[in-house]
Amino acid sequence: MRSACLGWMALLLPLAAQELKLPASFDKLAEKASDVVDITMDSSMLQLASKFLSDKDPDEARIKKLVSGLKGLYVKSFEFDRRGEYEESDLESVRAQLRGPGWSRVVGVRSKRDGENVELFLKSDQGQVSGLAIIAAEPRELTIVNIVGPVNPEEIRDLAGHFGVPRMDLSFPNTRKSTKEEQQ
Amino acid sequence: MTEAKGCVVEAGRRSTFAEALRANQAMVFSIAYHFLRDRPAAEELAQDVFLQLYRSFEDLDSDSHITFWLRRAASNRAIDYLRRRKFRAAIALEQAPEPSTAAVEDDPLLNRRLRALIASLPEKQRIAMVLRFQEDLMPEEISKILDMPVRTVKSHLQRALALLREKIGRSMGEIR
Amino acid sequence: MNDFEKQIRDALARKEPSPGFEARVLAATRRVEARSSWWNGLFSGRARWASAVVAAVVVIAAVGWRHERDVEERAAGEAAKARLEQALKITSVKLAKIQEKVEAHESN
Repeated sequence: MRSACLGWMALLLPLAAQELKLPASFDKLAEKASDVVDITMDSSMLQLASKFLSDKDPDEARIKKLVSGLKGLYVKSFEFDRRGEYEESDLESVRAQLRGPGWSRVVGVRSKRDGENVELFLKSDQGQVSGLAIIAAEPRELTIVNIVGPVNPEEIRDLAGHFGVPRMDLSFPNTRKSTKEEQQ
Repeated sequence: MTEAKGCVVEAGRRSTFAEALRANQAMVFSIAYHFLRDRPAAEELAQDVFLQLYRSFEDLDSDSHITFWLRRAASNRAIDYLRRRKFRAAIALEQAPEPSTAAVEDDPLLNRRLRALIASLPEKQRIAMVLRFQEDLMPEEISKILDMPVRTVKSHLQRALALLREKIGRSMGEIR
Repeated sequence: MNDFEKQIRDALARKEPSPGFEARVLAATRRVEARSSWWNGLFSGRARWASAVVAAVVVIAAVGWRHERDVEERAAGEAAKARLEQALKITSVKLAKIQEKVEAHESN
C-alpha cells in the first residue's frame, strides 16, 4: 500500500513550483465523462488572449488587468451522466499538493445531503496571494481550477458580476483566516 | 395610448431607432438574461437583436409592432443560443439544493434561487415563464410571440409552476 | 396572481444592461451604415467601379501574404480569448456556489 502511494507521488512532480499536477487516473475520468472542459493556458497563451481583449470595454479591460500578471490558468471539468463515476481517492493526490508550503484552505463547504464538497485554496508568498485552487466535487461533476500567479481575490470577486453570477464577499488570509464548513 | 411595463406606447406612433433602443433595452436584455442567466451572453444577444432591428426597422410601422418584434426576436435568439451553447451556467433543476432557511417575502436569496431554478427549466417552459412573469403577458400574447398554440403555452406554464412550487415549497411550507 | 407568482414576478424584474450598452449598439449600427455606404459608393458609376477594381487587385497582391498571417493570428487569438473567458466563467461559477452555500449556512 505504502509503495503504491509513493508510486503515485512520484508521478506527481509538478512542472512548475505552483502548477498542480493531476493524477493519471484523470485520463480515465475523461473517457467516462459525458462532457469535458480542459483548458490549459500558460503565460504565452494568456498573453495572446490578452491581446484580443479590448481596453475600451470595461469588462474586458478588467479581465486584461487580472490576466496581466498570471503565469498560468488551468481548468479541468468533467460532467458525468451518473453519480459515482469518480472516487475521493482521485482527488487525494491533488489535495496533498494543496497541503504543501504556502497553501491554505480558505473555505470548504460540504453538503452530505447533496453529496457536494467545494473547497477554495489560496497560496501566499510573503503576504501576497500567488496562487488559487478550487476543487468542486459534485455528484455528477468534478472541477479543478488552478490559477498560478499574483491573482487578486477582489478582482476574481469582480469577475463574478461580469458573468452574471452573484457577487462574492469572502475574506482572505490577509484580513481574516477562517474556514467555514457546513455539515448538512 | 397603452402602458406596458413603464414604457408609454402610443398606438400608431413610431419612435426613431435610438428611442426604440433606449425604451426597450432593459426588456430585451432581461429576456436574454433571465433565460440564459449569463450576463455577457445576454448583452451580446441583446446587441444582435437590436442590430437585427436596425436592419428591419423600416418594415415596422408602430411602437407596439416594434415591441412585439423585439420580444419575438429576443425569445427566438435566446432559444437558439441555448441550443448551441455547451457550457451550462445554471445548476440543474434536479440537483438544485433546497434553500436551508424559511424564506420571507422579498428575500434576495429566494429571488436568486427562483431565478436559478427558472433558468434550469426546459427551454419552452423557461421562455414562457420569462414572458409571463417578466413581461406580464397573457398566454394568448405569448402564443403569438412564440408561434405556439395557447393551450401549449398554458401547459408549459402550469408544469413550470408546479416544478418550482415543489422545489421552493418544501422550505417555505404551504404555498398559496 | 397568488403570492408565489408575485414572488416569481419580483425575481424576474427587468434588469438594465451594463453602462455603455446603448452607445455600443449605436456604434455598431454606424459600422453597419459605414460598410453599406462603402459598398454603395464603390459601385456607383462605371469609372469609380473600374478604378475600385484596379485598386482592389493591387491591394490584394501587395498584402495577400500579410493578410493570411493576420487572419491566422486573429483566429488563434480569438480562440485563446474564448478559452480564457470560459475558464474564468467556470471559476466564477464555482466561487459563487461557495458564496451561496456559505451565506445559506450563515443565515441558519
